[in-house]
Amino acid sequence: MNTAPGRSELPLDSRPGPSRRASLKSRRQRSLAFRLAFAVVVTILVLVPFAWMISIAFTPAEQAFGSISLLPEQPTWRNFWIALTEVDLSRALLNSGVVAALAVIVNLVLTPMTGYAFCRLRFPGSQFVFLGIIATTAIPIAVTLIPLFLMVKGIPWAGGNDLFGHGGTGLLNTLLGVSIPHLVGAMNIFLSYQYYSTMPGELAEAARMDGAGEWVIFWRVYLPLSKPLLAVVAIFSFTGTWDDFLWPLVTTTSRDVYTVQLALVQFNAEGNVQYGALMAGAILISLPVVAVFLFNQRSFIAGLADGGVKG
Amino acid sequence: MKLPPVRSTAAVLALTASLALTGCGQSNDQPDPDASGGAGATLTVWFPGNDPAEVRQVEDVIIPAFESATGAQVEATFVDWGDLSTKLSAAFASGAAPDLFGHGAAAVADYAVNERILPLTDYVARWSAEDRQDLSAALPGGTVDGVQYMIPLRMDGQLLAYDKADFRAAGLDPEQTFDSWEAIRAAAEQLTVRAADGSITRSGLLMATDPIGRQQSFATLVQAAGGRQVDQSGKVDFDTSAGLAALDFYTGLYLGQSGQPAVASGVGVPYSSNAPEQQPLVLDTASITMLNGNGIQKIADAKPDFEIGVIAPAGLTAGDAPAAFGGPGPGLMINAETKHPDLAWQFITHLVQPEVNLDYIKTFGGVPVRLSAASDPYVTGNPIMTALVEALPHLRPNPNVPGWVQARDTMDQYLEQALNAKAANAELLSQMAAAVDTVLTQSR
Amino acid sequence: MTAQAETRTAPAPVPRRRGWSRLHLAGLAMAAPATIFILVFSLIPVVYGLYLSLTRYNPLRRGGPEWIGLSNYASLADSPQFWRALGVTGLFVLMVLPPTVLIATGLAVLVNVRVPGIGAIRSALYIPNIISLTAVSMIWLWMYSQHGLFNQIFAWFGLPEQALLYDERTALAAAAVMRVWKALGSNMVLLLAGLQSIPNELYEAARVDGAGKAAQFRHVTVPGLRPMLVFVIAMDIIYLSQSFAEIYVLTQGGPLASTTTVNYLIYTTAFQYNQFGLSSAMAFVLFAFVAGLSVITMRNRTGDRP
Repeated sequence: MNTAPGRSELPLDSRPGPSRRASLKSRRQRSLAFRLAFAVVVTILVLVPFAWMISIAFTPAEQAFGSISLLPEQPTWRNFWIALTEVDLSRALLNSGVVAALAVIVNLVLTPMTGYAFCRLRFPGSQFVFLGIIATTAIPIAVTLIPLFLMVKGIPWAGGNDLFGHGGTGLLNTLLGVSIPHLVGAMNIFLSYQYYSTMPGELAEAARMDGAGEWVIFWRVYLPLSKPLLAVVAIFSFTGTWDDFLWPLVTTTSRDVYTVQLALVQFNAEGNVQYGALMAGAILISLPVVAVFLFNQRSFIAGLADGGVKG
Repeated sequence: MKLPPVRSTAAVLALTASLALTGCGQSNDQPDPDASGGAGATLTVWFPGNDPAEVRQVEDVIIPAFESATGAQVEATFVDWGDLSTKLSAAFASGAAPDLFGHGAAAVADYAVNERILPLTDYVARWSAEDRQDLSAALPGGTVDGVQYMIPLRMDGQLLAYDKADFRAAGLDPEQTFDSWEAIRAAAEQLTVRAADGSITRSGLLMATDPIGRQQSFATLVQAAGGRQVDQSGKVDFDTSAGLAALDFYTGLYLGQSGQPAVASGVGVPYSSNAPEQQPLVLDTASITMLNGNGIQKIADAKPDFEIGVIAPAGLTAGDAPAAFGGPGPGLMINAETKHPDLAWQFITHLVQPEVNLDYIKTFGGVPVRLSAASDPYVTGNPIMTALVEALPHLRPNPNVPGWVQARDTMDQYLEQALNAKAANAELLSQMAAAVDTVLTQSR
Repeated sequence: MTAQAETRTAPAPVPRRRGWSRLHLAGLAMAAPATIFILVFSLIPVVYGLYLSLTRYNPLRRGGPEWIGLSNYASLADSPQFWRALGVTGLFVLMVLPPTVLIATGLAVLVNVRVPGIGAIRSALYIPNIISLTAVSMIWLWMYSQHGLFNQIFAWFGLPEQALLYDERTALAAAAVMRVWKALGSNMVLLLAGLQSIPNELYEAARVDGAGKAAQFRHVTVPGLRPMLVFVIAMDIIYLSQSFAEIYVLTQGGPLASTTTVNYLIYTTAFQYNQFGLSSAMAFVLFAFVAGLSVITMRNRTGDRP
C-alpha cells in the first residue's frame, strides 16, 4: 500500500500510526479506537444476514433453516461442489467477467470525460443535453425493455442481419448484447460531473496559460486527480453489470451466454429450492465482486496520495 | 450435455418402440411433410419452471432420444416461472419467440385470441382414438372455445394433505374419510393447538392465502359448494349462494364463523411452494394443509418417516358433490410463426408417449397425463399418487378465457380483503363479481 | 471562510460571446461519444415508451400500437390503485432515504481513516450491495419468517411473534429495512470518495487559520462533501422511486396492496396483463414526480447559482 507521508485520510485525527499506539495514549488515539470499534460493530450488524448465508452454504440441504445455530452441526463442502458442477457456473463466471469487463472499460474511458465536458467545457445546449441524459435513468426498465430489445435485435450486420437490421437476431443471445445497457452509465456521467464540480478551476486556467490544449488538460491535469472517481465508476459499472438479472434473462436463450445471476436462479426452482447450493453459488459469484472492490478501495487511497502530490 | 451411452441407447430404443407400438407418431401412418426438414432443423423450446430433476430428464433423456429419432436439433431453455411471461412478451413483440413454449393454462387464451399459437385440433385428430381417450382428462385444459391450443404434460390438483400422527394424538382415526368440508373443519377444530393467550400455534386446517393460492382456494370451495367461477358464455358466475357459502367457509377458517373459532392463522403467509423441509406440516405448524399433488409427493419423498395422508375431494356440506380446483397442468404450445410446425408437434407427441411421460413425471413427483398410467406401479405402488389419480375426476380447472391472469389477480384482491375482514363477505363478493366481469369484458 | 470559498465550484468558463469557441468544440467532442450512445440506447427507447403511453399496445397482438391519445393518462387520473401506488412509492422513499444517507455519511466519516484492516471493513460494508438478490431475499424472507431472526429477537425481549411481511402495517417498513441495508454500501462508497476529493490543503489552511475540529468539519468537510451529497440524494430518489426488486421478492405488492409501488404496478401491468400503453403512461407520470424532485435537489447544488 502506498503510504505517502503527510497524506492523511483522517483530516480530523491525522496520522494515527499504529506503531505509535503503544507509546503514547493521546486523546486522539482513544477517539480513533472508539471510532474503529464503532465501525466494527456496525460492520458486524451489516454482516449478520451474510453470516447466515455462509452458514447455510455449509449446511447439508435437509437441515437448511432448521435451527438457529450459526455453526452447522455437520459442515459440508458438498453445496459448493453442487454449485460448481450442477450448473455451468465456471462458464457463467467467465461470461459475466467478459460482460462486466466490457462495461468497466467503456465506462472508464467515456464517462469521466463526458462528465468533465458537461461540467467544465459547457457548450451551447450542453446543460439541456446533460439533464436529458440524467432523465433517462428515471424511466423504469419495464418500459424501455421491449424497445431496447427490438433495437438490439435490429443491429445491422450482426447475428445474420443485413444493413437494415433485418433477417437475423442481431446481438440477442450474445455477450456484447448483454453488455449494451451497461456500456455507458448515465449515473456515472452525473457522478463525474459532480466530482469535477468540486475541483478547483484554477488548475485548468493555469494549464491554459501554459498553452495546453483541452485534451491535454483533461488527460494530464484532471484525470490523474480522479482516482477516487475512477474507482467508484469501475466498482459501480462492475457491480451493476454483474448483478443485472432482467436484461440477460430476456435477451439470452442459450446456456453458452448465461450470466452468473441466470445460473444461480437454477437453484431457486419453485417448490424445490436447493438452499445450500444457492447460497454456495451466491458466495462464489460474489467473490469476484468483493475482490474488485478490495482492489479498488485501495486505489482510493493511492489516488488521494498521488493526486495530492501532483496537485 | 453429455449422456452416458447406456442411457441414451435405452432412451432411443424406448422412443422408437413407443412410436412404433402406439401408432401415435405421424411417422408411421403417413409421409411426414417435415421429414426432410426434420433432419438438420433446429427446434427451440422454452420449458416453464426450472426444477433441476426435470431439467436433467429433459436434457439428458428426452431431447437426445428425440434428436436421434428425428435427426433434428432441440435447444431447450428452462425459464423460472416468475420470469416466464416477461421473457415471452419481449420475444413475441420482436418475433424472436421459440418454436415451442410452455405455460400454465391461465395464459393460453391470451396467446390464442392473438393468434400467436397454432390451433392443434387437426393434429390431435391424427392421434389414434385410444390415445385421445387416454389423454381425455388432460386435453380440455388446453382448449379455448373448443379449439385445442395447448397439450398439457401433466395433471395436478389442490388436495388436502394431513399429518397422521397429529390425527392419532388428537384422538382421530388417521384413516378417516370425510364426506364434506364441514366434517373436515370439525376435525380441524380438534387438531388446532392454541397458546395460553388464545393465539393459534398449530393450524388445524390451513388453506392457501398467498396471492395465487387465494383464488385457487376459493375456486375449490365454490366448486365444492356446487357453484362455478365462470359460466359457459364466459360471464362471472360466483356471485351466488354457493359463492357466498364458499367465501364464508374460507374466511371462517382464519376469522372464525358463526360462533365457531378460527382454526388457522397466518393469513397471507405463503407456504405452497416452500421446500418440503419448510412445509407447515413438516414443521408441525399445521395438521391439514391444502397443497398441490406435486408438493404432497415431495414431502413424502423428502421425509419418508413422516406419515402423510391425503383427503379425497369433498363437497362443502354433506349433500354436495365432491369437487376441487385442479386438472390439467402446464403444457406446450406451438408458436404460430414456427418454421417447423410438424416437427414441433412431433416433439409434443413424444412428450406424451406413455413411457416418456411417465419417466418425465416421475422426476418431479407429478401426476401422469394419461389415464392408463393409473395402472402403472408408479401410481399403484404409491398411496399418495393413487389418491391423486383417484381425485382427478373431481378436479375442475380455471376457465380458459382471455384476460384470465388479470381476472385472477382481481379476484385475489377482493379475497384478500375478505380474509382481512375489510367488509362484509356478501358485499365483497358482488364487488368482486363486477370487477372481474369488467376485466373479462375488456379482454374479449 | 477562506477554505469554504476555495471549495466552491468555479463555474465553468462560459464565454459571453455568441458562436462556438475552441472550448465549446472541445467540450462537444469529449461529450459526443457517450451522448450519442445514450441517445441511441437510452433516449430512443424512452421516447418510444412515451409514444406507447399514447397508445393501446399489447405485444401479443399483431396489429402493433393503436393510437388512443391521452386516454391512458385519463384512466390513470381516476384509478385509485395508481394513486395509492404513488403514495406507497413516496412513503417508501421517505422511509429509506433519510436513514440511508445519514448512516452512510456517518459510516463514510468513520471509515475515512488509514489503519490496517480498514479496507476489509469498507469492503464488508459494501457486501450487501453485491450479493445476488436471489440469495439475499431468501435470507431476509427467513429472517422475517415465523421462526426467523427478528422473531427470535422479539421473543428475547418478551414481545409477541410478528408476521412482519404479511401485516399491512409493517410490510412496507420491513421492505424498507432491507433496502437501507442494501443501499448503505453504495452510498458510503460515494460519500467516501467525496470526502477524499476534498483537497488536504484546505484542512491545512483551516488549521493554520486556527480552526478547531468542529470548525473544520463545518467549513471544510460539509461544503466539500456537498456536491457528492447532492448526487447521492438525487441518485437515491431516482432509484428508490423505481423500487421493484425488494418488493417483488419480499411481498409481491401485498398485503392489501400496502407495498404495491408504482414500478411494481408497471411491471405487472406490462408483463402480466400485457397492457404496455397503460404501463408506459404510469412510468411517465412517475417520471414527472421524480423529475420535479430531482430538479429541486439539483437546484441546491453548490455554486450553481451565483
